[in-house]
Amino acid sequence: MKASVTWEGQGIAMRLGNDGSGSGAERIPHLAPGCDPARLSLTPAEGYLLSRIDGITPLALLRQIAALPAADVDRCLERWAKEGVVVWDEAGRKAARTLSVPQGRATPAAPGIDPSLDFPVEMQHRVIEFEACLGKPYHEILGVAPEADAKTIKQAYFGLSKQFHPDRYFRRNLGPYAARVERIFKKVLEAYELLSDPATRPEVQRELTAEPSAPPAAAEAQAAPAGAAPPDAAAALRLRARLASLGRQHRAHGDRRRKAKGFFESGMAAFKKERWLEAAGSVRLAIAFDPHNESYRSAFSDVQRKAHEERARVLLKEADGAYELGDYKDALRHYEEALHYRAFDAELSHKTGRLAWKLGADLRKAKDYAMAACELAPENALYHRTLGQIYKAAGLTANAKRELQTALRLDPKDVESRQELKAL
Amino acid sequence: MSRVIGIDLGTTNSCVAIIENAQPSVIPNAGGYKTTPSMFAVTQDGKRLVGHLAKRQAITNARNSVYASKRLIGRRFEDPEVQKCIELCPYGIVRGQNDDPRIEVGGKAFTCTEIASIILREMKRVAEEYLGEPVQEAVITVPAYFNDPQRQCTKDAGRIAGLEVLRIINEPTAAALAYGFGKKTDEKVAVYDLGGGTFDISILEMSQGVIEVLATAGNTFLGGEDFDRRVVNWLIQHFSESDSIDLRGDAMALQRLKDAAEKAKCDLSQREAVEINLPFIASDDSGPRHLSIELSRETLEGLVHDIVSDTLKTVERCLGDAGLGAKDVDQVILVGGQTRMPMVQQAVADYFGKRPHKGVNPDEVVAVGASIQGEALTSEDQNLLLLDVTPLSLGIATFGGHFAKLIERNTTVPVRKAHIFTTTRDNQTAVKIRVLQGESETAAENDLLGEFVLTGIRRAPKGEPEIEVSFDIDANGIVSVSARDLETGKEQSITVNATGTLDEGEIQQIIEEHELYEVQAKG
Repeated sequence: MKASVTWEGQGIAMRLGNDGSGSGAERIPHLAPGCDPARLSLTPAEGYLLSRIDGITPLALLRQIAALPAADVDRCLERWAKEGVVVWDEAGRKAARTLSVPQGRATPAAPGIDPSLDFPVEMQHRVIEFEACLGKPYHEILGVAPEADAKTIKQAYFGLSKQFHPDRYFRRNLGPYAARVERIFKKVLEAYELLSDPATRPEVQRELTAEPSAPPAAAEAQAAPAGAAPPDAAAALRLRARLASLGRQHRAHGDRRRKAKGFFESGMAAFKKERWLEAAGSVRLAIAFDPHNESYRSAFSDVQRKAHEERARVLLKEADGAYELGDYKDALRHYEEALHYRAFDAELSHKTGRLAWKLGADLRKAKDYAMAACELAPENALYHRTLGQIYKAAGLTANAKRELQTALRLDPKDVESRQELKAL
Repeated sequence: MSRVIGIDLGTTNSCVAIIENAQPSVIPNAGGYKTTPSMFAVTQDGKRLVGHLAKRQAITNARNSVYASKRLIGRRFEDPEVQKCIELCPYGIVRGQNDDPRIEVGGKAFTCTEIASIILREMKRVAEEYLGEPVQEAVITVPAYFNDPQRQCTKDAGRIAGLEVLRIINEPTAAALAYGFGKKTDEKVAVYDLGGGTFDISILEMSQGVIEVLATAGNTFLGGEDFDRRVVNWLIQHFSESDSIDLRGDAMALQRLKDAAEKAKCDLSQREAVEINLPFIASDDSGPRHLSIELSRETLEGLVHDIVSDTLKTVERCLGDAGLGAKDVDQVILVGGQTRMPMVQQAVADYFGKRPHKGVNPDEVVAVGASIQGEALTSEDQNLLLLDVTPLSLGIATFGGHFAKLIERNTTVPVRKAHIFTTTRDNQTAVKIRVLQGESETAAENDLLGEFVLTGIRRAPKGEPEIEVSFDIDANGIVSVSARDLETGKEQSITVNATGTLDEGEIQQIIEEHELYEVQAKG
C-alpha cells in the first residue's frame, strides 16, 4: 500500500504542470526490466493493457485505448507497480518530490482537480483536504472531540461513509480519485473501529497525550518508493498493530465471558429444575471460563451444596440397596463415598464405621468413622459402644474400656456394653 | 438506460424485483405468481422446463427434476453435505471433472452453476417480459454464510445467464434494505431468515440512510426442507408400520411424499390438523396401497422442535458477535416462507421479547432489497448506503500451524488491516505468506486462497526483522495481500482471485451451449 501512497502523491503533484484537463498526461509507465508478466493472473482486457505498455505511451492515452474503464486502468497500473511489473517514468518521480504539496483551491486549474471527471469538483477538493488530515489523530479524522461519546462517533462515521464509501460512486469515472476515495474510507473505518471499541479507545487516548504530533500525511506521501518507511510511519504501524491485537484480545475475552454466561444460564436453568448435578457441572464450567466473576462463585456454593446432597442421596440409596442384597463390600464403598458429602451425618458415620468393622476391613478406618460419629453426637451411647468394640477388636484395651464406660454412663441400661466390659 | 433487477435466487423459490417510479415492485411471472420455483427438469423427449412447469411435472418425472440445487453450489463432491443430498435426492448426483457435484438429468450431467444460470435466465426472462425491454444488470442475493467459491459460482451463473452481476449481497442484508427503504429512523434490526434450505440471522443498524451490518451468522444446511424431511420420514415410518412397505427406495413415492409433506406443513400454519391422502402410493401382491393419515399441528411441532431451538442458538451467537442482548434489538424482521409457521414466530417473539415486524412479505422482501441495492448503486441521487461486511475471516498461517486473523468476519468493506510479523529462525532471509480464509484457529482447517514468498530479509536473530503484512479488500470484495520488510522496504503482494468450481473456458463453453440451445428452442 505504501507504494500506492507514493504514487498517488505523484499523481496530485504532476498534474500541476499541465492544464488540468488530461490528468496524468505526462506519466509514462515502463515494464520493469527482467520481470516476467507470465506469472501474473490477468483477464484478457488486462493482458491487452499490459501489452500496450511500451515506455512511450503515456497514461492518458492508455486510458483511452484500453478496453477497460479509466478507473480500472489506474487500478491495474497501481497493482502492477506494487507487484514490481511496472515502473513509472523517472522524470515524473522528480516532479512529484518537488511539487507534492497541495496548493489548496486557487484557480480553476487547481492542483489535481479535473472537472472532466464524473466526480464533483467540490468533492475533489474535499478529497485533497481530507488526505492532508489522514495522519492526524483518529478523532480528528472523524471530526469529533477527543472525548466524544459512542453515538457521536457513529454519526460522524455514517456521515463520512456517505461521502467516501466507494459504492457512492459505483461505476463512475473518478479517475485517480477512485483509489483515493477508497483509501479515505478505509482510514475513516479504522478510526471508527478503534474509537468505538472499548478495548482500544483508552489506548488511542493515551497515545494522543503521549505523542501530540502524529506523522503528517506529507511525510507518508514522500516516502521513497523502494526505500524504508520513515521511522515515525513505522511507529504508527506498530501502534496500529498493537491496537488491533488489543481489540482481538478483548474480543477473545468477550467470547470467554459469553461462553461463561451461557454455561451459567444453563446451570441456573438446571438448578430451577432441581437437576443439581447438571447445574453444578455447568456453573463449574462458567467459573472456568470467567474465573473473576464473583456472582458465579457465590452461586456456586449454593449449587454445590445442593449437588452434594443429591449425590449423597443417590449413593445412600445404592448403598442401602447393596446392603439389602448382602453385598456388604459394595455397600461400604457407597457409604464411604456418601460420607464425603455428608461429613456432618453422625448416623452415617456410625453406620459406615460399624460396617467396616463387621466386614473386618481396615480397622483404623472403622475407628475413624466411629470416632467421627462420637464427636458429632457425643451423647450417643451406641456410638461410644461401637467405638469401644472396634478398639477391642484392634487390641487397644484401655481405649476400649474408656469408650464402653462412657457408653454405660450415657445409658446405664446398655446390657451389651456391660457384657463387653466384663469380658475385658 | 438498462434497468437493474434484484434477484433472490432461493433454494426452493426465486423472486425478481425492480424499482419503478422510485418504488420497489415484485415482478409476477406469466402465471401471475410472484415467486417461481427454483426447479429445472428435462422431459422424456428432451425438453427443458423451468419454474412452475418443472414443478408441475416433477411427480411423474422425479428422476429428471432438479430442486434445491443451491445446496450443492460451490461445494466439493466430498463435502458431507453433498453426500447427504446424494442420499436424499431422487435425481442423480455424480462427481464432475473439477471434483464438483454434478446433477444428472436427461442423460446429461449439469454443473450446479449451470442449473443456477438456467433459473437466473428464467428470472431475467420474467423481468424482460414484464418490462418489455432487455435487462442486462442484476444484484443477486446469497445466504450470509456462503463462502467465496459459493459466491463466485453464483456470480458465474449470472454471467452465463447473460447478466452482469453488479453485486452479490447477503439475503438478510437485502431484507434489512427493504425494511429500511424510505425510513428515517435510527434502529437496530434483527433479520431472522428461515428459508427453504438455509438459515441466516443478521443484526443491522440503520441511521441517516446508512445501513451497517453489525453481525451475521447462519447455517447453510438448515431450512424449511428439513421440516419437510421430518414429515416425510414420519410418513414413511407410519406407512411401514401400517402396510409393512418401505417407501424409501421409490423415487416417485418420495416425490409425492415430499410434495404432500410441504403442503401439509404450509396448511398447518392456518389449521390445527390436516388429512394427508396419497392414493396408490405403492402396491404389493394384495393390490394397490393408499396412504391416509391425519397430521396435527402439535405433532408437526413435536417433529421439528429441535430445529427451531437450533436456530435460536445461532441467534444467540450472532447477538454476541454484535455485542448486543436480545432486548437491544428494536425490530425483528422475519424472512423466508418457513417463518410463516406459528411455532417459529412464537419462538422468535419469545426470544426477543417482542412481536416480529409485520408488513414485509417474507417471500419477496429479499428480492426487493436486492433491487434497492441495484438502484442505490446506479442511480444519481442516492439516499441509501449499505455498509456491507466480509462473511469469513482472513489471515495468514503462522509458526506452529496457527491461523492469525487480520480481518475478522463481519468487518465492513472496503477495509485495510495490517499487522507486523517477524522471523522464527536466526538468519532467516525469507518468509512464506500463506493467505487463508475461515474461522478455525488451526491453519490447516481453513481454506488456502493463495501464497507467496517475501525474500531478501536481512540476516538477523529471530524476532528482530519486522514484516508488515497487510490485507486489503476493495468494495467489490477483491482481496489483495502484501508483505513488506519495514527495514529494506522490499515488498511482495498478490491479488486473490475468487474461483468458483468452473474455470473461464468452461464458463464460455456453457454460454455457447446455451446460446445454441436457445436458438434450437426458438427454431
